[in-house]
Amino acid sequence: MNNNATLITSLKTVVGRRPARLAVGLALGLSMLFAFSTAALAARNYYKIGVVTSLSGDYALGGNLTKRGYSTWARAVNAKGGIKVDGKRYKVKLVYADAQSNPKSGADAASRMIQSQEVDFIFGPYSSAVTLGVAPIAEKYQVPMVTGSAESPEIWKHHFNFTFGTIPSVDMTAQAPIKYLTEQSPKPGSIAVIGINDPFSKAAATGFDEAAKKTGLKVDSFDVVPTHSDFSALLSKIKDENPDILAVGGEPQDLIDVLKASASINFSPKAIVMHYGITDAGFRKEVGSTFGNYTIGITDWSPDANLKDDLFGTAKQYAQAFEKHYNLTPDYTTAACSATGEAFTAALQKIGAKPPLSRGQRVKLMKALEGIDIHTFYGPVNFAKSGAHFHDNSELKPMVVQVVDGDKYIISPAKYKQHDVVYPRPPFSKLLNKQ
Amino acid sequence: MDLFLQTVINGILLGGIYIVLAAGFSLVFGVLDIIDFAVGEWVMLGAFAAYFGQQYLHVDAFVFLPVVFVAFFALGYAIQPIIFRVVSTKTHLPMLMGLVFTFGLSTLMKGSALTAWGYNPRSLDTFLSDTSLALSIPGLRLFAFVFAVAATLLFIGFLYRTRTGLAIRAAAQDRDKAALMGVRVKDLASVVYGLYAGMTGMAGVLIGAIFSLSPQMGAKYTTFAFFVVVLGGLGYVPGVFVAAILLGLINTMTTVYFNASYSFLMVFLLLFLVLIIQPKGILGRGT
Repeated sequence: MNNNATLITSLKTVVGRRPARLAVGLALGLSMLFAFSTAALAARNYYKIGVVTSLSGDYALGGNLTKRGYSTWARAVNAKGGIKVDGKRYKVKLVYADAQSNPKSGADAASRMIQSQEVDFIFGPYSSAVTLGVAPIAEKYQVPMVTGSAESPEIWKHHFNFTFGTIPSVDMTAQAPIKYLTEQSPKPGSIAVIGINDPFSKAAATGFDEAAKKTGLKVDSFDVVPTHSDFSALLSKIKDENPDILAVGGEPQDLIDVLKASASINFSPKAIVMHYGITDAGFRKEVGSTFGNYTIGITDWSPDANLKDDLFGTAKQYAQAFEKHYNLTPDYTTAACSATGEAFTAALQKIGAKPPLSRGQRVKLMKALEGIDIHTFYGPVNFAKSGAHFHDNSELKPMVVQVVDGDKYIISPAKYKQHDVVYPRPPFSKLLNKQ
Repeated sequence: MDLFLQTVINGILLGGIYIVLAAGFSLVFGVLDIIDFAVGEWVMLGAFAAYFGQQYLHVDAFVFLPVVFVAFFALGYAIQPIIFRVVSTKTHLPMLMGLVFTFGLSTLMKGSALTAWGYNPRSLDTFLSDTSLALSIPGLRLFAFVFAVAATLLFIGFLYRTRTGLAIRAAAQDRDKAALMGVRVKDLASVVYGLYAGMTGMAGVLIGAIFSLSPQMGAKYTTFAFFVVVLGGLGYVPGVFVAAILLGLINTMTTVYFNASYSFLMVFLLLFLVLIIQPKGILGRGT
């Protein structure tokens, strides 16, 4: 009491009576608020999950795909009352942070999320570049992160202990369409490869290049170009070499630019392979019946696959629930993101960890994730424990798809085939005059 | 030899698109002392105006060229008084204020477009999309080039052959003296900004027909507009022709004969060299 009286007296002397009372009142108020908020954080009956993804910038399209995938899982699990751990159910709450399509912004966002918002674990970014920025943060603070998107093999080479991925990296999947095409008639003899200059797209292009060499195709050219380039000059050069296949690693906007530039110079190879993009409903809506018709791509999941689990039911039921909410067809990225939640669920149930998770529990969660082997509506989820694809879901096998008149069909493997391949691809003049 | 010829033609055609984009931008700087950061977003809005027009009316994208010009002229004419107020001499550091204001305008345009139209890239189709002439010259780009050059020549003709054009050039030279001579600078400023918005909107239609569209496409064209205008000489509209063609040629030559990853490097290296050796632009006639 004496000390408080002395404090107020001193303050009155320096700043006057009224400001002194205001200052002390403010200090007391802030202290109470802090105490209350600290108490609130300590006693939480829900899992707080941080989502770091690109909600703006060049990767905003993909970032929003991942957001929908993660949200779909959260809605489904909360509809059932939450994650069941030791007989009690705990709901989940997602908190979002925008990586702005920038690795540094992603790292800052993850850091804030972990330190200020004390998330239990993280759903990872859309892009490989941002994932590579966030992974060291997850490692530093020992917060497990599973990404439902990033496909660059670079991520797994670093052997981050706290980072996992439900999608197989592109060096494993890019082989599928190239190998498939070399089995068709007329057998293609050569390929030109273009990769956009970002970790995922370059890795996709490298995957096409390596697959081409393994299957005996002559690689006429391999070019890495900046995003948003004008492709007409490059494609003119490629057209001069007359490759049978054009393979492109990039995001939807660059893929559309490549298709339009090819059409403008009347460059119509026997096949055009693109990854990522053709599985996105928006891409097919825009160019699926015109420039993008008969483009071949890769998917790791299909709503028609014979897969199911207890949370979503069958793959088709997942797709229907997604379409009902978003009025959009889900692609494999959204499905993989929804599956990340199922991976965490299995791991949490294994260790019996209730929210909020302590640092020790997060380390145990990481070890539990390493050991899971589950079968979901998306397919198997089983993270590699060693090797070049450390912590990647490398068991999942890709399917080859083709866009036909605006719709996407599986053309390989035979057990999932929905449509015969259209090969060689009709020239652009015929495709565009169909409209 | 064919590949070399094709590369040169591709470069010239590419540069042609940037001419109409940069001509208006150069004029706005010369007359109004405004460095318009929103130039890329005007391009984006022009492209989307044609896109939605095509979606709803099912006509070729090029039908919207005059429509976009008129609509964007009106929009630019309406917005200009606000910009004029920001950059009037009563403001401290008017040029900087103008830059900041147009940066804010750019952010508003981009954010509004993203919110309204989402993130998916779009495609604008025309009857020339798959037309290819001798040497694989893209018919679409040739049309865009011819249109862009014609529009810019008309614009320069307007500036140098009409009384209003004379008044605009007088105001560009010395605003105060022009006002003393009876030129209504404020009204003229609205006409100039309207012309700029109209021309840039039309550039957007052409660009949207050639490339994909997205609400975030503008940043690249803002960079190119700056490059062309600075290289051609700030405020000197004819300089834009040379600079734009040079930009296109550097782009295509680097891609074909060197490495596509270095095309931006080469473009900006040239810009730095010109700024060091000839700061008034490549023809030495800029401000």
